[in-house]
Amino acid sequence: MQVQQEQRFWNPYIGGVALGLVLLTSFLVMGQGLGASGAVYRYGVAALHAVAPAHVEANGYMSTIFANGASPFDDFYIFMAIGVFLGGVVSSYAAGRMRIGVGKGPRIQVPLRLTLAFSGGILMGFAARLTRGCTSGQALSGGAMLSVGSWIFMLSVFAGGYALAYFVRRQWT
Amino acid sequence: MTFPIESLVGEFREFGLFVGALIGFGFGFVLERSGFGRAPKLAAQFYLYDMTVFKVMFGAIVTAMLGTVAAAGIGLVDLTALAQGAVSGTFVWPMLFGGLMLGAGFIISGYCPGTSLVGSASGNIDAMFTIAGVAVGSVLFGEVYPLVEGFHLSGEQGQIFLYQLFGIPPAVVAIGVTLMAVGGFIGAEKVEKIMTKRITVAATVVDEELRSRPSSRRWAFGIYGAVGVVTIVTLFFPVAKQAEAGARVATPITAADLARDVIDAPWSVRIIDIRDNALCATERVTGAECVPAAQLEQLGLAFSTGARKLVIVNDGSATPIPAAANAYPGELRVLEGGHAAWHAYALVAPEPPDPAATSEVRDANLFRAAVHSALTGVAAPPPVAAGPVGAFVPKKKKGGGCN
Repeated sequence: MQVQQEQRFWNPYIGGVALGLVLLTSFLVMGQGLGASGAVYRYGVAALHAVAPAHVEANGYMSTIFANGASPFDDFYIFMAIGVFLGGVVSSYAAGRMRIGVGKGPRIQVPLRLTLAFSGGILMGFAARLTRGCTSGQALSGGAMLSVGSWIFMLSVFAGGYALAYFVRRQWT
Repeated sequence: MTFPIESLVGEFREFGLFVGALIGFGFGFVLERSGFGRAPKLAAQFYLYDMTVFKVMFGAIVTAMLGTVAAAGIGLVDLTALAQGAVSGTFVWPMLFGGLMLGAGFIISGYCPGTSLVGSASGNIDAMFTIAGVAVGSVLFGEVYPLVEGFHLSGEQGQIFLYQLFGIPPAVVAIGVTLMAVGGFIGAEKVEKIMTKRITVAATVVDEELRSRPSSRRWAFGIYGAVGVVTIVTLFFPVAKQAEAGARVATPITAADLARDVIDAPWSVRIIDIRDNALCATERVTGAECVPAAQLEQLGLAFSTGARKLVIVNDGSATPIPAAANAYPGELRVLEGGHAAWHAYALVAPEPPDPAATSEVRDANLFRAAVHSALTGVAAPPPVAAGPVGAFVPKKKKGGGCN
């Protein structure tokens, strides 16, 4: 099996401490937490803006990222997302884990898996705007800052995941 | 030294963006190394046979939390200012409902927005579909925003933190959360043992070997313990921060530099004129608030974010900066020579420079002439003396509603 060529994943507790140190660095040096969904949102709006600029500029919520002629890519979290991607590339390549494929359980066909991956993404994208941040920005960063809203969010995420897990079990097991 | 390094979001913003990319690199690297690039491993959290998500997440929260609380305890960082700058306000209902929705999206897609980036980076096509979905979903939110705006803003509590909610010091909450997390880790180990016995799953990425190597786990727990002890110790000298603030000396700013701020980047600077109201109302630095020294306390400067540069304007005498201004968490400057220096610089027409002067001198003179004409105008009355607009507007504390 190919699995033998791969390095093992880190011990989760070591991973947790390492991730915490990255987050702590971000807090202390930049005064900001980690984030991911904000950058993807900006890419989405920029793509729509390329097709229908007038439509986006007329939208009260999305037009704010173009305020005063700003570029949607001139943002701290856009740069962070580029770093996240590169970090993932370097890490997976060096560990022998970089492989084109589809992550899924044995009982599900690829087209359905990709449809679900896309649908779940839509739910998360919408939700992350609603909650002013995703698992990175709210649960992780806000959680470490002991923000009440972030802890409400974090508990809800786990509750939502566990509540639905039974119904999509064929996708994973 | 005071963190965060403010210039990285100000004058050295470009370098700050680069630092952001570096931090992102670390973020992505650690996520991938922990196995977060693979949907089956992430989803396994919700079927209880691999609790890596819980362990990594709470390990990270505990580490960063203890780190910031300890850093605040020794006066390295202002916890309130940091928290206010880094965290959104609390909106109970959208966060509760949105959390459920995001959790549902997590188990359906197998990723969360951050891990979908890492999953794509390691070649997973499903993760790329998830990124596309997140982009579509968030734009969809923008499209229907007028419909959901009311809900988006419901249950607003301002920026509120667990230690305010419980009314106990942050360090105590931090220790409590740490103990909870360690209890959770022990529980997670037990649950995994039970579940892996029960379930035989072909595609799971359960790493049996890790469980046979408890030494590294002890090592990680050791770190939590050590930082935890430091955090407890910091409880006993909570005054370090204030002592430092009291000893601080405000750096002077010249009228020319202040003029540059006022003209080029008025949003980056907050100017407070602490002279008598009568004097300030007659003539003041453009954009200055008139707040006599005695009333400065009411502005709550100690509780503001410190994002803007605070410039104090007085009558030019060497009186010390009031304590209320000294408590300001951000950059604090005092106008050199007081208001008289501003008047002489900006409100008196400059003499043409000596033609033999260096180009710097001539440039400075040119800028001064531009400032003078911009602020005094030809037809318009002097804008600086245009009445009480902008005066007596104490800035409301950003948090609001919580204490």
